[in-house]
Amino acid sequence: MYQYDQFDHAMVAARNAEFKDQVERRLKGELSEDQFKPLRLMNGLYLQLHAYMLRIAVPYGVLSSRQMRTFAHIARTYDRDFGHFTTRQNIQFNWIKLADTPQILEDLAAVEMHAIQTSGNCIRNTTTDQFAGAARDEIDDPRPWAELIRQWSTFHPEFTFLPRKFKIAITGATRDRAAIRVHDIGLQLTDKGFDVYVGGGMGRTPHLGHLIKSGLPGEKLLSYLEAALRVYNRYGRRDNIYKARIKILVSALGPQEYARQVEEEWATLDQAQIDAPHAEIARIKSFFPQPAYADKAFDAAALDRAKAADAGFARWVRNNTLAHRRDDHVSVTISLKPTGLPPGDASSAQMDVMADAADRFGYGELRVSHEQNIILPHVAKADLYDLYRLLDQNGLSSANVGKITDMIACPGLDYCSLANARSIPLAQDISQRFADAELTDKIGDLQIKISGCINACGHHHVGHIGILGVDKQGEEFYQILLGGRADEQAALGVITGKGLSAEAVPAALERLIKLYLDLRTDETERFIDTVGRLGRDAFAGALHEPA
Amino acid sequence: MKLLTANRLTDGLVLWYAGGPDLSGWNEDAALATRLEDEAAAALLEDWKARETEVVAPYLVPLLDENTLVKREYVREHVRANGPTAGQTAFDTARQHQRGEVF
Ligand code: HEM
Ligand code: SF4
Repeated sequence: MYQYDQFDHAMVAARNAEFKDQVERRLKGELSEDQFKPLRLMNGLYLQLHAYMLRIAVPYGVLSSRQMRTFAHIARTYDRDFGHFTTRQNIQFNWIKLADTPQILEDLAAVEMHAIQTSGNCIRNTTTDQFAGAARDEIDDPRPWAELIRQWSTFHPEFTFLPRKFKIAITGATRDRAAIRVHDIGLQLTDKGFDVYVGGGMGRTPHLGHLIKSGLPGEKLLSYLEAALRVYNRYGRRDNIYKARIKILVSALGPQEYARQVEEEWATLDQAQIDAPHAEIARIKSFFPQPAYADKAFDAAALDRAKAADAGFARWVRNNTLAHRRDDHVSVTISLKPTGLPPGDASSAQMDVMADAADRFGYGELRVSHEQNIILPHVAKADLYDLYRLLDQNGLSSANVGKITDMIACPGLDYCSLANARSIPLAQDISQRFADAELTDKIGDLQIKISGCINACGHHHVGHIGILGVDKQGEEFYQILLGGRADEQAALGVITGKGLSAEAVPAALERLIKLYLDLRTDETERFIDTVGRLGRDAFAGALHEPA
Repeated sequence: MKLLTANRLTDGLVLWYAGGPDLSGWNEDAALATRLEDEAAAALLEDWKARETEVVAPYLVPLLDENTLVKREYVREHVRANGPTAGQTAFDTARQHQRGEVF
């Protein structure tokens, strides 16, 4: 993975020293809350319902075992022994003391991490495919490009006060696992360069991104992004926070006109000054080599015997592993969605176990996925059973990846000060309702995504089943959306039926799923395909109790 | 009838005003919060808004009676008073204060 050079180290150290001083001045009363708030937010420190929350950037979701152990240390020492992995491939700690934050940031800097640009109207952490560099369907590795964007965007003076936050996602595979069409800019790497999508987003007015450029050469990526951001920075609306995202500008101008303006701007830029020289791109690429693969003898018959003897293991191999570029390896997803527990949470002990697992079986590498799971991208097939047993002993062997209980849920009203309704308890109820592994396997691939308000941090617009928490005069209600998807056939779900109470949701989903099982042509037709074939209306009735 | 609430500057934890001139009068336990008449509450709020080295973002929570939140505020203030309702990780304020849930 990328390693800081002296400039990175110096930059983060200087920033931490500055923030330490700001915290001290705030505690002494030399800075007012109004003065301090934007400063703390620039360092990822929010004030939420119960306490300060610290959001730490995991650049494009890539973590070393050492960094994961630092998260465990932070959870244990400064928080309440757990952390929450988010859909932005970051981690949030919910119970941080203001006075502790300078020390936490120092602990993070020691492992080349920080919380800079995890808030505010700047370019946020670039997200990507959690299987980057490992997946068999990959065309090109997106990580070096995400790193290049990180270096270009961090502290970019022109883009520190954009009209609104800005999120870029990249995928380099044929399957889009990074949800690029619902990001401000989505980049698809192809063998001819980048396809650039602009103007996607969720929140209160969801949009899918529009293709505005095909075959952009990698060496021209930064100058083109600079032009795209410039047009947005100049014309994006600053008068109305709800209309400030680039999606609103692109839909007001029309994608073609926006693209034309970007081309025009691009032509005026001194591109050679902005674009990274070839040697620099090569240098960055050199930080992302393939691991030194161990040639472990793989005995397929032994794996089959282990699967036959241990049905849990067989299910886990089936659901939680993905084809690797090498035949003798797989990528493993560690599900953070055990039955009845909050999606995306991990205890400090579990973080340590995942770090150990990465060291013993995964070349020390981990990833955070936007589905709020942890990935070991490279695992020798010969090690699978040992890895499974280690995870199983530590409550980390849920075999439900991609299934109905592998839900995304935002923090919701249990933590978030903007929320209208709770998300986590609802996810817990649903997970309990569908706890039977045979049943979840029978249902097959199905993504439920839950947000506690219209901001859509839980991606409800692109869930096969989306759930949106709303507030009706002090009572929590949930709108159900059907038909959304975040993959290469991205689509926005549509609100279907009337809002339901929290108690009514699990039963409504049960009726919905039963209807799907009755209507599907066979088990290869996934829920989303059946909804596509028959239309949402065929399912609306099932959401409500028969009169 | 109202309650005065805020977050403590140093650790961000939810506090409830329980009488007295300084921060030691505030309590993490909502059960001990002083039930304030509207006028007194408004005056206290103004007073504490200025005391930024002690508390952040103070505001008033309206009550229908001693122990009943206004419905519009219910879930949010219930969660603030009792901790997250969710999970392995729920901070059980009630147990910490050796009492049942407030509100
Ligand atoms: C708890 C504190 C949080 C706050 C205050 C917050 C705030 C917001 C707001 C205001 C928006 C809407 C932006 C807009 O429409 O312009 C938003 C969107 C979003 N947030 Fe959060 N969020 C929080 C937590 C999270 C978490 C935990 C995640 C990841 C799980 C997350 C990921 C996202 C995503 C994916 C979007 C939608 C994409 C977008 O429109 O940018 N947020 N958030
Ligand atoms: S969707 Fe709403 S409730 Fe959920 S984390 Fe985002 S802002 Fe908070």
